[in-house]
Amino acid sequence: MLVDTALLVPASARADTPSPQKTTVSQGLAGIALRGGALAVFVTVFVLFAFASPIFLTPFNLGNILAQSAISGVLAIGLTVVIIAGGGNVVSGGIDLSLAANMGLSAAVYAALSQAGQVDGVAVLAALGTGLAIGAVNALAVTWARIVPLLATLAVMNVVGGLELVLTQNTVIPAITPLLESLSGSGPFGIPALAYVLLGFALITAVVVQATPLGLRLYAVGEFPEAARASGLALKRFIAGSFLFSGLSGGIAGILSAAYLSGSTTGAGELLLPVVVTALLGQVFSRRLVPTITGTLLSALFVGVLINGFQLLNLSSTLVSGIQGLLILLVVSATTLLRPKEG
Amino acid sequence: MIQQSTQPIIHFQGIEKSFGGAKALSDVSLTVHRGTVHGLVGQNGAGKSTLIKLLAGLHRPDAGQVEIDGEAYDHLTPHLVESLGIHFIHQDRLLVPSFTVGEALFLGREPRIPGTPFLDRRQMQRRAQEVLQRYFGLSLPNSALISQLSTAEKQIVQITRALLDRPKILVFDEPTAALVKREADLLFTLIRRLRDEGITILYISHYLQEIEALCDVVTVLRNGRHVATKPIAETSAAEIAGLMVNRDIGDLFPIREKSPGAALLTVEGLSATGRYRNVGFTLYRGEVLGLTGLLGSGAKDVLRTLFGLETAEEGTVTVAEQAPWRASPVQAARRKLALVPEDRRRHGVALDLSVSENTTLASLPRFTRLGLVDRASEAAEADRLITRLQIKTAGREALLRTLSGGNQQKVAIAKWLSRHSDIYLLDEPTVGVDIAAKVEIYALIAELAEKGAGIIVLSSDLPELIGLTDRILIFFRGEIAREVVSDTITEDALLAEVTGSSEATRYVG
Repeated sequence: MLVDTALLVPASARADTPSPQKTTVSQGLAGIALRGGALAVFVTVFVLFAFASPIFLTPFNLGNILAQSAISGVLAIGLTVVIIAGGGNVVSGGIDLSLAANMGLSAAVYAALSQAGQVDGVAVLAALGTGLAIGAVNALAVTWARIVPLLATLAVMNVVGGLELVLTQNTVIPAITPLLESLSGSGPFGIPALAYVLLGFALITAVVVQATPLGLRLYAVGEFPEAARASGLALKRFIAGSFLFSGLSGGIAGILSAAYLSGSTTGAGELLLPVVVTALLGQVFSRRLVPTITGTLLSALFVGVLINGFQLLNLSSTLVSGIQGLLILLVVSATTLLRPKEG
Repeated sequence: MIQQSTQPIIHFQGIEKSFGGAKALSDVSLTVHRGTVHGLVGQNGAGKSTLIKLLAGLHRPDAGQVEIDGEAYDHLTPHLVESLGIHFIHQDRLLVPSFTVGEALFLGREPRIPGTPFLDRRQMQRRAQEVLQRYFGLSLPNSALISQLSTAEKQIVQITRALLDRPKILVFDEPTAALVKREADLLFTLIRRLRDEGITILYISHYLQEIEALCDVVTVLRNGRHVATKPIAETSAAEIAGLMVNRDIGDLFPIREKSPGAALLTVEGLSATGRYRNVGFTLYRGEVLGLTGLLGSGAKDVLRTLFGLETAEEGTVTVAEQAPWRASPVQAARRKLALVPEDRRRHGVALDLSVSENTTLASLPRFTRLGLVDRASEAAEADRLITRLQIKTAGREALLRTLSGGNQQKVAIAKWLSRHSDIYLLDEPTVGVDIAAKVEIYALIAELAEKGAGIIVLSSDLPELIGLTDRILIFFRGEIAREVVSDTITEDALLAEVTGSSEATRYVG
């Protein structure tokens, strides 16, 4: 507070403060390099796999990649909205670790109800309701009990995982319904229906997040809460809303997963890492290095290609996990260092 | 142009506000008239920011009421304040870094494409260009992000945001602190224009020449009290400065034998690009040495460098007769240096530990037996220091969080006392501390000096520097501009030295 003695100095006697242009320019260049690099890596990986495996480029396999990506893509889009509204801080920012478990429980609810003879409508509503309820618990834990999302959703993840075990007795519940059949089939141009669901879901979310006032406000709330509050925005409503949305994504992904696997299976939790990678990796595809829906969609396809290619090359799944972990470290450190800072 | 005849728009009546026992405002009454530029001045701790936060609805007064436009309120809320048309231009620029200028300007009241729920980005860009051009003659590219703007440009965007709401009252809190002359002049022209359009301006600044040039009326606060409100035509910057300065603080300071002993700390040729140049001085045993300067003068950087929190590029620091060292906090503590930082909550104390734990934190080895903390001797030391410093606490087990700011500061000092340091570096030791606690801290500093310690006090409180120290080093733009003997300088003269006003007059012409 040394400035407090500056009683008599007029503005003219003070030195011009140099603007921080230089750092932002170099940050901008590094950002462009990062984005270009990310796209180049995407293309390179794609080409490499095409040469390494004769099956990779077949329509069947590409359709398979899209279908596989649909589930993690829908989850990652839900997670992206939570990260936008909660901010990118790795410790205190927005994150929803319960998403994969949410998908598992929602799929189990759907499969169990179908097996019990309920019609599709009821089972769908129950699955989506399950997802929303989990989102509501997260929202309450974060906004009302003020637990950091990282911890709150970690706890919810375990509760939800436990509920799934109770419901399924740790067994596979097969489910074959008209809805699942049409979802697991092909749509126009022989592309799997699941891929259309992903694209449709991404499109709707992208329009809301990137083209409406609601989306702009979500970014403000996450990135600079004080500025959002000064603009008269109710922060908690946006954050709670983001968790409700990610809960709903979990419910939708649950139905997609029931379609893809013809029922509910155990091991939903294994999807958590790819989903987190996808949502974080999406940031490098955006101009301002912020999470965007289109960026997440691109990165969902990238991660899908990566996992699929490794399977085709018979590389162990441990290696895939290792690479995904490395990607998280790389992306988080790159975006933390390069993102524009308040100054 | 004084319009005292117009009706009042803001009227504070008998406002009282305390924080944890320290009185921030006592019986403040003040009237602001419609369509005037009303300046608010006062030194650090005078109560300006508390008063502004009351007006913003962020604090609730303990007593008194606020009348806005003839309507009386016993407290305000942020929402109410906004609906009354009162807007604040804060010192911190509340703009989202990754937003474009248009997005930042219209956040919260975004224009939509007619008949749709979608953002009308084109209109946001067009109107942003238009208003920035109209108010400030400023043209920014549509794609420019807030993070790419200069500080001044951000400030302008922030002001423009408030103007879009067609406010009745605009409160400027140190708006020119980050602006260069040309930008500040534009701002003043704009403020006058706004006033002529009937908007009432409350203008808070440390720069009295700005107040003199811009305001119609000025109010001076001192120690939480309303000292004077005068039309600017009937006063002068010199008179205002006189009203701001506390004349009766002299007897707060202990009378002390000033007889420095052997050299304790020698600093030679200390330089760091952009922060300070060729700084050299010696601190003697039993001496209280003052450092002062404006923000950015380098005084604070030098103090932090001595403790190893920053590094110098050239120069040496020698303690007593030991070899010079590359400073780090660990090395500094080993050489019996102690730092009491200004931001105590962040650096000085652990709020969730007890008073006892805090006082012995820096000297745990003394209270450790067989690797375990000896609670009995820790408690004895804590009790001794609580009595010694008259720390007001429910007991040594009370959490530090429960103490007032002044008492937390005493604990921060106690923490280093229990280490028996030789050299104390005190960074703004009495900021946010009430008078009673100040007196005890001053007495403690004097006693440490008498016992042979060397003490460096960095302060922007000029009476404190004059009353407490033996010598004062005045930093100006990274260099020691002058060294003065504290007994021989008046507050006004010191103020002139600190602000470099002899040079400043040359600048202004």
